[in-house]
Amino acid sequence: MDENLEELTLLETLDHLLDRGVVIAGEAVISIGDVDLLYLGLNVVLANVDAIKRTSRR
Amino acid sequence: MKSVVIGAHLRRDDIEPPDKLESLSYVQAIPAGDLFLSGLPVADDQPLGDRELLLRVANIRAALLDRATFIAIRYGFAVSSPSEAAAKCAEHLDRWRALLEQHRDDVEMTLKVVASGSVARPDRRDFTSGGDYLKALHAATTSVEIDPEFRNAAEEAIGKGRWLHRDQKSLELVALVARGAVERVRAAGEELKRRFPQVPFLLSGPWPLEVFADETPS
Repeated sequence: MDENLEELTLLETLDHLLDRGVVIAGEAVISIGDVDLLYLGLNVVLANVDAIKRTSRR
Repeated sequence: MKSVVIGAHLRRDDIEPPDKLESLSYVQAIPAGDLFLSGLPVADDQPLGDRELLLRVANIRAALLDRATFIAIRYGFAVSSPSEAAAKCAEHLDRWRALLEQHRDDVEMTLKVVASGSVARPDRRDFTSGGDYLKALHAATTSVEIDPEFRNAAEEAIGKGRWLHRDQKSLELVALVARGAVERVRAAGEELKRRFPQVPFLLSGPWPLEVFADETPS
């Protein structure tokens, strides 16, 4: 698979894992070090959009 | 041990027994009412932010979806016992059962479109109240737009689903698609790319019930 497309697919997969689906009430946000996964999810979303632009320009 | 919960399924055999796929070897069915949760057992001290674990769960999700449609649970929900799982999910079970029965043969497809114009993200320092900042953030996110012609063409291609504003850079159309129609939708996506070469977008899927498992559409 094309490297850019592979990166895009991975980002999209992680975006779905971290930022979609039913949230069970009362569950705490997971942290990695001092970074909440919530923010990690947001970064994945933003990186994803940038990756879409890059792939589309090719 | 604790179990990272991946999804809610209609039948036990949507999860077990493991097939020849290595990725499903360790997944267990956890009863919750008359439904079943798929859970991946991990050590109690296993950090859930571990990259390898994230990728493993992502692979398991895909393998489970090959078996049957399920309701995706947001990553990060882990339980120590079946009784804890059942108690925490109790309020959802009736609705989940109805959704799983209704959409047994459907999957979600997502079309993420880069916005036609950028919207500035509000700066927290410009606000004295957290509430006002959140309102401004929401307003900025929902003001993102795309070319109306592309919007109509996208709905023709993958179906009239739900448009979601998720950030200040993109919009998403999420639609329910019959399993047998996934390839047709992908072909329609390729055609869309030919018609609108100037619009960056990504068509992805199939996914489990994620957006359509939510009772409050955006």
